[in-house]
Amino acid sequence: MKNLNKGILIAGLAAFGLSSCDKGYKDLNTNPDAVSKPTPQYVFTLAEYNGAGAGGHYGSSSSDLLLGTMQYTTSYNDVAGFGSKYIQSQVQQTGSAFGAAYPDEINQLNIVIKAVKTDPSKVNWLAIARIWRAYCFMRLTDLYGDVPYTEAGLGYDSAVYKPAYDPQSTIYPSLLSELDAAAQSLDATKSSYGSADLIYGGSPAQWKKFAYSLMLRMGMRLTKVDIASAQTWVTKAIGGGVIMQDADIAMMHYISTGQDINKNPEILNLWNSDYIAQNGQTNTEGGKYADSWISYLQSTNDPRLPIISIVWIGGKPDTTSYKQKGMPQNIPNKLPANFITYSEPNPATVLGLGSPKLLFTAAESYFLLTEAALRGWYSGATAVSLYEQGVRAAMRHWSIIAGSAGTIQQPAIDAYVANNALVSGTLDQQLRQIYTQFWVSIFPNADEVYNNYRRTGYPALVPNNYPTNATGGQIFRRFEYPISEQNLNTTNYNAAVARQGADDLMTRIWWDKQ
Amino acid sequence: MTKFPNALRGLLLGFCWLLFLPGQAQSSDRHLKGTVKGPDGSALAGATVALASDKKTATATDAAGAFTLTLPPAYNGPLELDISSVGFETRRVSVERGQLVVSVVLDNSKASLNEVVVTALGINREKRSLGYAVTTVKGDEFTQARENNIANALTGKVAGVNAAGLSTGPGGSSRVTIRGNGTLGPDNQPLYVVNGMPIDNSVPGGPPTVNGITNNVDRGDGIAGINPDDIESISVLKGGTAAALYGSRASNGVILITTKKGRAQRGVGVEYNSTATLENVAVVPDFQYTYGQGLDGVESIDLSSAQASGRKSWGALIDGNTNYVAVDGKNHPYTAKKKNVQDFYQTGSTFTNSIAFSGGNEKTVYRFSAADLTSNGILPKTSYDRKTLNLSLTSKLTDRLSIDALAQYNLETGKNRTGAGDALGNPNWTPLEIANTADVRWLKPGYDSNGNERIWNDASIASNGYFVINKYQEKDTKNRFIGQASVSYELFKNLVIKGTASEDFYNYNYYNILPTGTLYEPNGQYSGIKTDLSEFNGLVTASYKGNLSKDIGISAVVGANTRKNSENRLTLSGLNFTIPYFYSFINLSSESTIPYSPRIGTNSIFGSVDFDFKSLFFLTLGGREDWFSTLSPKNNHIFYPSVGGSFILSDAVKLPEFFSYAKLRGSWAQVGGGAPDPYSINLTYSNVTSSGSTLQNVTPDVNGNNVITNPNLKPYTSTTYEGGLELQMLKSRLGIDFTYYNRQTTNDIVNTAISTTSGYSNVILNIGELRNSGVEVLLTGKPVRTPNFNWNVSYNVAYNSNKVVQLAPGLPLIQMAASVNAWATLDQVVGRPFGTILGTRMTRDAKTGQIVYSRTTHTPVATTATQVLGNSVAPYTMGLTNEFRYKRFSLNVLLDGKFGNKIFSIFELYATRMGKLKSTLPGRANGLELKGVDQSGAAYDTVITQANGVLRNYYDNNKTYSELFLHDGSFVKLRQVIFSYQLPIKNISTLKIQSANISFVARNLFILYRKTHNFDPEQSFTNSNNQGFESIGLPRTRTYGLNLAVKF
Repeated sequence: MKNLNKGILIAGLAAFGLSSCDKGYKDLNTNPDAVSKPTPQYVFTLAEYNGAGAGGHYGSSSSDLLLGTMQYTTSYNDVAGFGSKYIQSQVQQTGSAFGAAYPDEINQLNIVIKAVKTDPSKVNWLAIARIWRAYCFMRLTDLYGDVPYTEAGLGYDSAVYKPAYDPQSTIYPSLLSELDAAAQSLDATKSSYGSADLIYGGSPAQWKKFAYSLMLRMGMRLTKVDIASAQTWVTKAIGGGVIMQDADIAMMHYISTGQDINKNPEILNLWNSDYIAQNGQTNTEGGKYADSWISYLQSTNDPRLPIISIVWIGGKPDTTSYKQKGMPQNIPNKLPANFITYSEPNPATVLGLGSPKLLFTAAESYFLLTEAALRGWYSGATAVSLYEQGVRAAMRHWSIIAGSAGTIQQPAIDAYVANNALVSGTLDQQLRQIYTQFWVSIFPNADEVYNNYRRTGYPALVPNNYPTNATGGQIFRRFEYPISEQNLNTTNYNAAVARQGADDLMTRIWWDKQ
Repeated sequence: MTKFPNALRGLLLGFCWLLFLPGQAQSSDRHLKGTVKGPDGSALAGATVALASDKKTATATDAAGAFTLTLPPAYNGPLELDISSVGFETRRVSVERGQLVVSVVLDNSKASLNEVVVTALGINREKRSLGYAVTTVKGDEFTQARENNIANALTGKVAGVNAAGLSTGPGGSSRVTIRGNGTLGPDNQPLYVVNGMPIDNSVPGGPPTVNGITNNVDRGDGIAGINPDDIESISVLKGGTAAALYGSRASNGVILITTKKGRAQRGVGVEYNSTATLENVAVVPDFQYTYGQGLDGVESIDLSSAQASGRKSWGALIDGNTNYVAVDGKNHPYTAKKKNVQDFYQTGSTFTNSIAFSGGNEKTVYRFSAADLTSNGILPKTSYDRKTLNLSLTSKLTDRLSIDALAQYNLETGKNRTGAGDALGNPNWTPLEIANTADVRWLKPGYDSNGNERIWNDASIASNGYFVINKYQEKDTKNRFIGQASVSYELFKNLVIKGTASEDFYNYNYYNILPTGTLYEPNGQYSGIKTDLSEFNGLVTASYKGNLSKDIGISAVVGANTRKNSENRLTLSGLNFTIPYFYSFINLSSESTIPYSPRIGTNSIFGSVDFDFKSLFFLTLGGREDWFSTLSPKNNHIFYPSVGGSFILSDAVKLPEFFSYAKLRGSWAQVGGGAPDPYSINLTYSNVTSSGSTLQNVTPDVNGNNVITNPNLKPYTSTTYEGGLELQMLKSRLGIDFTYYNRQTTNDIVNTAISTTSGYSNVILNIGELRNSGVEVLLTGKPVRTPNFNWNVSYNVAYNSNKVVQLAPGLPLIQMAASVNAWATLDQVVGRPFGTILGTRMTRDAKTGQIVYSRTTHTPVATTATQVLGNSVAPYTMGLTNEFRYKRFSLNVLLDGKFGNKIFSIFELYATRMGKLKSTLPGRANGLELKGVDQSGAAYDTVITQANGVLRNYYDNNKTYSELFLHDGSFVKLRQVIFSYQLPIKNISTLKIQSANISFVARNLFILYRKTHNFDPEQSFTNSNNQGFESIGLPRTRTYGLNLAVKF
């Protein structure tokens, strides 16, 4: 018994040696590969990459999906062809952009804003992050309608795990005011992001133009739902100064080698999902240009057709206009025997992995100003001349994107302009011409073409009434929320659906009033 | 640690006697004759009869139970005989001088009643004293069964243990859960402990995912590195009460492996064991062979249409016509090809050779073993090689001081392990999906003259299986070292201080090449993992054994343990081999190297005291306090107690003779645990791999998610109670062991999915709750026991009821995994068992039950994707072992079964889309009538035909109804047959062989019952929590071969 007591005592003492039992745990808990404080400009650059990329890999990218919907591209394969076929079994593809945006750019911008907002020397850092966040939220609400906005991205800071959805009717005014306030706070004398800003190198003056251009875009969005506000904001935007020069175009810069994140995301998607083999036959997901797109360019003798399109003949890419042929959008999920004879994007121009992505161009300003002029909201130039400047600016896009390989000769531009002057007629007829031209001009920015299609009805695409489509053979009006929201944010999701309408592809969002 | 080894030794000695001493001329008074009988009066063959004073003087009984013992010349010592036989109590009898004939009756062994078992920390305890159920499996059950991964060999053997090998080829992992899944965290497998110290059981780089692509291979777990020949026995401690001394990691149960040690003997003992087995695909799907390759009722008649329909059997009636052209561009008769699966896979083979040397003297014993396993899988070019060297040394340096050491070195090499999940780089898709009139061998060799993948279908993501076999490259090498050393010192009488250190370390190199010329990724991809992992444990204990009084015995142990687990992992990935066909990490146009360095520490003190009252009543009290590095510094430790007792009813009260033994037991224990991930407390930021610009983001978790860390994490608690009854009846010829248990996990640390609109996809919360309860029954019987023929039966059955009680406030479910394209998901659903399969169904009219069709899509309307389809984990498990011995022959037959789970088949989903299943036949000839109601409730009736792909697309769209591909996963399998013959070594005595045994062994021979028509219900490909999916992995196989075991 004595021995026992001694033994227990000794073992107890041995154990006590361990009972400062969490010594060194702080060290053990420090991740050697991470830091505890963010560096705002590095997070901001990532937010630019993520915000300009349309949310990830093949199938989840809204821009690539909408390339199909706006009938630029299609695929014989039903899965990859969802954008142009809208088949029921693939509608979940539309939820991806929503699911990715918040943990990526929205959260990153919140981190940046939190880090710089109290530092008076960083007003430009703050303003630029706010403008970029407005851009990102705008993209989201345009695709989905009501989305979490005021409570979004507060998971870590405020433990908000189930953000409420804001009605689009309140998101829009808020974003417009945000753009205005941020633009006005820019100060050319203060520091900025410099090279960490891959759009403007940190230039406050250019960010100001971008902010007012976005305001122009957003203001014009309201023509169907609130014409008075539309006029107010369009007027204000023009007064603030929008992008009118090629030098001011808002574009993300990429590099062609290195990591995927540094490459043009939309092009990388096209490249990986279809055109990497470069033989016209083994296109990975069965993609080609769509027939509506190629035949339209042929019918108007568009000098851009040989710039952007090729067909594989004898193992070589051929840009001859009359040889181009788009693929029908209703091929029933089987490889067509003549697959190789269909046109696809020109690797020398459209598929440059290091080419910039144009986010807001002078051409877009001119087309929107044309409409503003027609509506009597702008009198700085005539609608006819604004339209012509828009067409000419758009013709220059391809040399901006692809250098000499994309340069269209001046006589060809002149001839095209001469044949495509703005018609006189009803506003609707003129809008038809403007936004059909917009479709041709802004390619491959399908998002913005889709937005204007929903607002104006143009280009007047013939919907693809493919078997088992989810829309009754109509081009869809919005994207569906990801299914995860039904489980993880049930109450707020249900409230949004009750307010906005069924969570399906044909429900119209607020500004897309019937 | 039963008497079995002793008895065996006795037997061997007997054989020695027979070998070397026969024929000596003896005078008759030196011959002692007699018979040995069992309690029922039957003669006992093979019983050892030895002189107590000189064990070398021994003999064995013959078939009639008779023996003749020849005494040494001029022997004058006491005439006491020790008579022993397996399964009987050893008896010592005195023989009168001059008595020449002895008749001895042996009682049935009480070994099972007084059995000593290995418990937590390697402590040997009498089984009767335990307050919980423990099951021991002997080492020879693993050497004969010859599963490469010993954990697989537990299948069906232990009540409440759900063990299953994965269908991932040689060198694959196992998944073992004991009494159900107990935590919502990532790991529900038991802790593996070798000789009292934990070893690592991780899969390098993590287990495969359900929907992974290309690089999604099972890289083998830690337990796969243990050589079955080195195992003395395995004890299964089934959870909290048994395992509380091991702390948090034991809450899922502990599998205690005791390795063989040397024995004091003259000379060197040599054991040689050699096994050769072959394996073949076990299940071939039941395809339709009515309509052949083609589309919309038209067969393929040229190369282009053949390529468009390479994996589509939507063609014309198979009529043998000769217009048919396949993807090889050649004409073939349009006939059914029914052997594609058999023709694509080969016969796999495994050769295992092991040799062990053991010996020593009374001070020091040693055992050294070397083993080599070479396995070639059923998929050509898949191989696995494992070399194991194991040295064990035990030495009693002085009367009080002894040391014990174990060193094991493993070299494991895997080549071309097969993936599961999505199609790219998964060769298993080809034989399953290829059109039914095409011979899969026509796709050989899978590449053209430039080495590029040849087209065989319209989706390049569906790789050409032969291209994958011939051009994809995977190789992994694991160098592993397990070292243990302990020193024990007897400080005072009965008080022993022991210090042990153990280290399990491996260095792992892995690469997986998606080659240049792949149709889907023409420039190739590289994935690699380089890692080293260390699991260190240091343990100090003081143990005392003594008596408090005449009636009360006591044993106590106190101790302290420190654990440190750390890994240094680099994940290498890259795209585009700049110089084509040259596969080096330096030859990539884009490459990245991501470090991952998790480090976990746990410190503990513990104590346990056992009281033994007259060997009738036993009581154990225990407690442990753990400090966890992964928890909030404010709240990182927890104390938890345990208590257990047993009562030997049969010794306390006089029971009817029918009962030979009765024991009641019960126990209650708590176990606390820390967070599974190391960096869950503080949010950090890390660089994102980038060229040019520096990029930074929230540090993602292992799965690439933004996770909200939790600075307030506190320990979770798992509380278990169990009660049981053990009965032996009819002179121990019938035994019952019954257990009820309940295990509740509270404050479980859950990585909960949240709305991504919060900016994060997950948050770590501390509020999960999970409950398991169940019963286990073990029945043992010895229906026949005669001198020449014995029949033993053991039947175990268990039922585990599992319920997810709480995830997070207001959160009804968490998604754990999604199939390829999310056609079904695996979720934790509040109120349902762990791992519920969710998916869609066809909407049915509430009143009439008719299918609701959409007039927009002309297909059935799918429900939301959150319909409960079933449980992924079988609640019922059972195993039935029958063992027959006839003279030198023995036959061991194991049946096992699992019931009540569901499995979702990705293969069937694709085979439906491709028109290969019989379920796609309706409507091909005359159209398919779709009859039901539309969404307004009005009658819907239409006929669809093959024209324009409408019927094909209708069946293709079936992928949107998960319920169609869900099956009951219940099965009964003939798991194991071992037929052995003990060679009569008398005839080969010149080789000095002590014993030799040759066996026919077979595993997974037949599926006696299943509901999955087209695949093996055990078609699992990951040992993670994510079960319940068939996802086009390697088919399961049946294995058969020969085993030779020789002892010198």
